[in-house]
Amino acid sequence: MSVNSTAPNLILLGINHNTAPIEVRERLAIASSRLADATRALAHQPGIREALILSTCNRVELLTVQDSAQTSTAEKPATLRFLYEYLNIPVTDLQPHIYEFREREAIRHLFRVASSLDSMVVGEPQILGQVKDAYSAAREVGAVSTTLEGLLQRAFTVAKRVRTETQIGSSSVSIASVAVDLARKIFDSLEGKTVLLVGAGKMSELAARHLIQQGAASILVANRTQSRAEQIAQEFNGQVIPFDRLYEQADRADIVITSTGAPQKIFSRSHGQQFLHRRRNRPMFFIDIAVPRDVDPSMNEVEGCFVYDIDDLQQVAQANLADRGKEAEAAEAIVTREVDKFQLRLQSRGAVPAILSLQQNAEAIRESELAKAAKRLGSLTPDQQAAVEALTRSLTAKLLHPQLVALRRSESNPENQE
Amino acid sequence: MSLLWLRVAVLLYGIASLAVLPAALYNRPRWRHIAIPATTSAIFFHFVSLIEMLNAAHHRLPVDAHETQSFLGLFLALAFLFIAGRYKTVSLGIFVLPICFLLGLIAAFRPGEEATTFPHLHTGWIFLHVALLLAAYAALFLSLLASLLYLLQEHRLKKKSPAITWLPPLETTDQIALKTLLFGLPCMTAGLLIGSVIAQQTIGPSYFLDPKVLLSFAMWLAYIGMIFIRRHSGLRGRRAVYLSSFVFLVVLAVWAANQLSVVHRFTAP
Repeated sequence: MSVNSTAPNLILLGINHNTAPIEVRERLAIASSRLADATRALAHQPGIREALILSTCNRVELLTVQDSAQTSTAEKPATLRFLYEYLNIPVTDLQPHIYEFREREAIRHLFRVASSLDSMVVGEPQILGQVKDAYSAAREVGAVSTTLEGLLQRAFTVAKRVRTETQIGSSSVSIASVAVDLARKIFDSLEGKTVLLVGAGKMSELAARHLIQQGAASILVANRTQSRAEQIAQEFNGQVIPFDRLYEQADRADIVITSTGAPQKIFSRSHGQQFLHRRRNRPMFFIDIAVPRDVDPSMNEVEGCFVYDIDDLQQVAQANLADRGKEAEAAEAIVTREVDKFQLRLQSRGAVPAILSLQQNAEAIRESELAKAAKRLGSLTPDQQAAVEALTRSLTAKLLHPQLVALRRSESNPENQE
Repeated sequence: MSLLWLRVAVLLYGIASLAVLPAALYNRPRWRHIAIPATTSAIFFHFVSLIEMLNAAHHRLPVDAHETQSFLGLFLALAFLFIAGRYKTVSLGIFVLPICFLLGLIAAFRPGEEATTFPHLHTGWIFLHVALLLAAYAALFLSLLASLLYLLQEHRLKKKSPAITWLPPLETTDQIALKTLLFGLPCMTAGLLIGSVIAQQTIGPSYFLDPKVLLSFAMWLAYIGMIFIRRHSGLRGRRAVYLSSFVFLVVLAVWAANQLSVVHRFTAP
């Protein structure tokens, strides 16, 4: 006997950056403003009990709980029908790019997505927030009930476990964030630190923006073209340093980002020595993004000067990426254990109606037999009544116990499932 | 009973020493949540055992080497806890906690049996003298350790291989090195002053000819000199480590000079 012969099916259908090019992904993408409406439309498809849509720039996934009869007999699956009706995309266009996971594999996939193991940049933190947004939208329209509620809550817990128990998201993999990370290895907090931008490149601006977001207090800008320097200074609410006074003022900065197009080096080793002397040996961090380089690499030998050029930053980013790969293995192990636990919980939940029915039946028999016996027993004192009550309850519970255990086991055992 | 509490403390130091490894090396917060409470509990039991031990021996301060080492271990553990709270780094625990464990272990399983006849051991002033100087030693040791970690982190950053994450940022280690030194200075000054006044009253001027006393004042001068140089030239990195190491050697010499000192022989023959 299988207690959950009418149990719903969990199905995940989607496309992502691995299976579909951007041209396909952008046709399928659902803007956050339309997400709730789309989820409602999906949940109203025949045979769908619960629904959630995750739509990011790298993936669109439809997670549904469907009637088992519906999934086995339908000519066209409800989810594909939704894509055709709501987004007006012919199924034939999508078929080569679509993946579909059911039951255990669907749970596993969701846990991997939430934990950022399926992301383009493994370990990136945004995906968890996007899954949470999708969940909020689905709840808002009443598309989430028992199964998805439990599954999503578990997915959030798994993602948190992966983040805290592995180092998957701890290292930076972009040039700008590597620069920030390095600065924090030197200065700890960037609160109150001064950043000097020498030259005006896009990447140096990005690095400066990152540093400001992390708490850097002020920006100094030096550029050969004064108007451009003023423009950048205004953008960052900073201060302009005339280029011809650069060497007098540079020691004010804790972090120097250089990106000029100068063919010669701007900062030599002796400049580093002078700056450090004037700063009473407080460290300086030079981020040299320019090609050809602006800072003489030998300045790195000066105690207290740290010089990183674009290749150095790229090397650190690649090493961090490789580290994330190693951490991903540990994270996969966590996900597998959590999938096992969740599936077991889900399966034993199928036995609940049968257990309840058995318990109610036994209780009815107990009460009726007790009523019959009451006539023969005559008048009992309250203590005696309580003792008889306790005795019958205990007998019923003990007689039921082996059957309840067997029921739970049979539901948890995959061999007993269809 | 005091040995029992000390052994409990040693066990907890041991647990903290192991837990701090994944907490610091792999940045595992769960292990940090074991290392810090274990250290806190160890300090509590260590303190209880020390009080009981001193009461049982009818004196108010550590007399023999084992008691003194145990006392020093307690200071180091307290300092580690303070640094972990203030600077949010447990990296120093990789080195400090095993030292606390070893210092406690020796006292827990080879307790000193020396008795004392020195009358001033029952005064609070001599307790302050010893406690302040041990606090200064602990501060100096932590300053040296922080300077070494600074050097190591600087080396990694210069070699462009900063992937190693357990080392605290340069600014943090620099702050720890300087702040511990600044904390140690008043401790050492007050400790030496109190000791000098007591010795002047009990022994007289001959006290100032004792080798340990002479070395102690040399240590104080070296300490002052180090702080002066560090503060005025912003000395960091390799040269700061050299300077700290030199002063630390002087401290070790002062410690070893107990063997030559007449003034610091409190134990009964």
